[in-house]
Amino acid sequence: MHLLEVEKLTKRFGGLTAVNNVSFHVDEGEIVGIIGPNGSGKTTLFHLISGFLKSDSGTIKFKGENITGLAPHKIANKGIARTFQVVRPFRHLPVIANVMVALKSPRGAKKIEWIKTFERKAIDMLEDVGLTELMLEPAENVGHGDLKRLEMARALALEPDLLMLDEPFGGLNPLETDFLTKSIQRIHLDHPSRGIVIVEHKLYALMKIVKRVIVLHEGEKIAEGKPEEITKNKKVIEVYMGKAM
Amino acid sequence: MVEIELIQSILVYGAISGGMYALLALGFTLIYGVSDVINLAHGSLFMIGTYIFFVLATPYGGIQIGLLPALILAAIFVAVIGAVTFRLTVHPVIGDPLSIMVVTISFAMIIQESMVLGFGSYRQPVPSLAEGLATIWGVKVTYSKILAFVASLALFAILMTFVTKTKIGRAMRAVSQDREVAMLMGINTEMLYLLTMGISASLAAVAGMLITSSTAGVTYPHIWPQQLYLSFAVVILGGLGSIKGSLVGAFIISYVENTFVFAIDPIIADILNLPVGGSLSGAVIMATMLLVILVRPKGLFGKRVELEE
Amino acid sequence: MVTGYFRRAYSSFVAHVLDIPPRLLALLLFLLLLSFPIVNPPSSTLLILTTASLLAIFAASWDLLVGRTGQISLGHALFFGIGTYATGLLSYHLNWPIWVTIPLSVLVGFLAAVLIGFPCLRVKGHYLALVTMAFPIILIGLILYFKNITRGDAGIWGLPKFFPFLPYKQQFIAEYYFTLLLLFASGIILYKIANSKTGMVMVSILDDELASKACGVNITKYKLMAFAISGIFASLAGSVNAHLLQVANLASLRVTLSFMVIVWTIFGGLGTIYGPIVGVYILQVLDQYVLTKIVDVPTPWRIIIYSAIVIVFVLKWPRGLARFVTDKQEDLEEARDIDERGPRIWRTYKKKEKK
Repeated sequence: MHLLEVEKLTKRFGGLTAVNNVSFHVDEGEIVGIIGPNGSGKTTLFHLISGFLKSDSGTIKFKGENITGLAPHKIANKGIARTFQVVRPFRHLPVIANVMVALKSPRGAKKIEWIKTFERKAIDMLEDVGLTELMLEPAENVGHGDLKRLEMARALALEPDLLMLDEPFGGLNPLETDFLTKSIQRIHLDHPSRGIVIVEHKLYALMKIVKRVIVLHEGEKIAEGKPEEITKNKKVIEVYMGKAM
Repeated sequence: MVEIELIQSILVYGAISGGMYALLALGFTLIYGVSDVINLAHGSLFMIGTYIFFVLATPYGGIQIGLLPALILAAIFVAVIGAVTFRLTVHPVIGDPLSIMVVTISFAMIIQESMVLGFGSYRQPVPSLAEGLATIWGVKVTYSKILAFVASLALFAILMTFVTKTKIGRAMRAVSQDREVAMLMGINTEMLYLLTMGISASLAAVAGMLITSSTAGVTYPHIWPQQLYLSFAVVILGGLGSIKGSLVGAFIISYVENTFVFAIDPIIADILNLPVGGSLSGAVIMATMLLVILVRPKGLFGKRVELEE
Repeated sequence: MVTGYFRRAYSSFVAHVLDIPPRLLALLLFLLLLSFPIVNPPSSTLLILTTASLLAIFAASWDLLVGRTGQISLGHALFFGIGTYATGLLSYHLNWPIWVTIPLSVLVGFLAAVLIGFPCLRVKGHYLALVTMAFPIILIGLILYFKNITRGDAGIWGLPKFFPFLPYKQQFIAEYYFTLLLLFASGIILYKIANSKTGMVMVSILDDELASKACGVNITKYKLMAFAISGIFASLAGSVNAHLLQVANLASLRVTLSFMVIVWTIFGGLGTIYGPIVGVYILQVLDQYVLTKIVDVPTPWRIIIYSAIVIVFVLKWPRGLARFVTDKQEDLEEARDIDERGPRIWRTYKKKEKK
């Protein structure tokens, strides 16, 4: 049984078909990348899987269970956590509270070991991404790079079985990119059964971490395979022609 | 058992009120569309217009000029008041909807009490724009109402043309769709806000003069809340920021109101053995708005929701 | 030279008075209010403060709804009026005693809030604000229409008082303390809720509904909860007020009430719970006492002055007066030694680090 199984997923917006008959799967412990030029439907795909958009047709199965059409918070509580392409912090809350919101959810609360309080657990999560210094800072005062890490800490707080990252490297400088790559690798090692899906633009960052890559173009899956195969794939090169790799 | 006269009355009066409500709502939706401001003082601007008209067009205070000059002067004066007040009180807190509400409510209270001080709490006359009675389709309608109706629709049409065809109008639409992009394109949003506010205020004033002169023919310091609610109902139902929405919403509200007053209310009164009550028509209008919102959370023509489950 | 004096007095005030921890400050103010009757004020003055206590509960309830979940309600008088009419109708038609009708009214308020909350879930932002205005208007229409039951425009008079066994003057004092205690209890409850983890989740909804959903938060549950709690306290205020004034009429649903709660809250500070309470007291005392009894300004001027003051204050302190005070206190705290300050969380972490 696959951890995540997406079958023939389609989403139309008026005349535009954003996701067209896309099928793929993610297994436990896999890190899968989804790439494609702008507008290829990557983020829409994320919204569909995480419940923020309803598909027109197709099914989504998580751990064997059909989750198509479920509300986003229910999907989150089933074990799928996602980040957003444009960071969405809770601006009025301090950094630590941002993480605590996720811990307060039914799933987060379940996973807290009984001796640890919410705050201590949140501090642990912040330590994992290196944000403890900013713990009490209202999120609105925090810089972009740190907010990206906060996104991830919040998603991790749900202790998901499937972690979906939407362009986590967006807007990061090389140092931050390196740090994030190492963080993702460490998270993967710490939780070997967790599946990770990463949508990304910057291929070079992705290639080091993912095991398998899916390529989308205009809503359709045009290629799938190991990173080395994909970079040699003629169709993919055509589609990305002129775009920096 | 439905009388033809009843239907005709509803159709004719519904249309007439609809046109005027559209003008009233237009100002409100315009300033919202461009600057995201909910102007709780919209009814007050309506009211100032009626009072200026009263002062200028009747012998009161020793001044009396013609109806049309009075109308125009009042519109200009209220436009200035609106724009200046906006700049001084609303602009500093723009983007903070609650502070804007506080500021506009306070302004409305100041205006209300100023009118009480200046003219007393009792009713003051607002002159009719025309004399005489006409018969449209079997229904007796005053020329005053017809004129007000025609004027309302004419102004509405003029404004629609302005917004769609002129450069400034296009700037207004650009800002209402995406403020940041518009600013990047070099549009001076600050001036645009003032201009829009001036237009919105003058529309409210003109609507005020047309509506009061053609219906009860009076104005008083507590006339503004009802006009405010009416504007809300129309604009919410039609969709905030949508000009088309104000027009459609105005007619829907107007027809619901007139159907209720002419047809349904008397029936209920018969059944429940209660006297006919005008008090329920406000509630009916609001209920209609609620029903539409439940089906369309952003009004009939409001911007679509982007992301939801 | 004069301005120099004021500036020094101000900094001295900031340094000494504001340096008191906020809870102590609140306690001092409360003790001040508790001891007020000692100066033997006229009953009318007591009534002003008594009413202010109830309006403060009302405003605090609004603050929980708007300041925490961001569901702007422009028709909050609905719940006040529901509380008023529920107890009025029960007293009038069924002759039940106060200690039965008031809790029942609060229950009705709670149910009404949940009922109203449901359709409001789908409506957002400015739409929600304006839509909520509709409810009190509809209720007013219904009350006027069914005059036979509700006594329409005239209202229901002769509602029982709280302490009929006390002599006239003492009743005012008793009512004063009763409402003050109610305010204290309600204020603490609302404050605790607002600053609990539930309140935290509510803020997350206000800040970013989408992200909140992605964190597994059931938005519907929290939004309805906010409505329900808000409705409970608002209808409590309304029902107690009805017995205070011994009348249940349409004044309890008036739009000025819905509007004023916004003014009081923004003036005092949105989202703080204590802000609206402070706002109500300052503005009510200004309006009903200073401008009425001390200076005796005619009503129109009173309203004009009051509104102008509100405009000036909101423009100068958009975050609210009470917030201004607590912000200053935070600044002072930041200037202190880093290890000594800060909430429990920080100190927990510091201790953990030292290990």
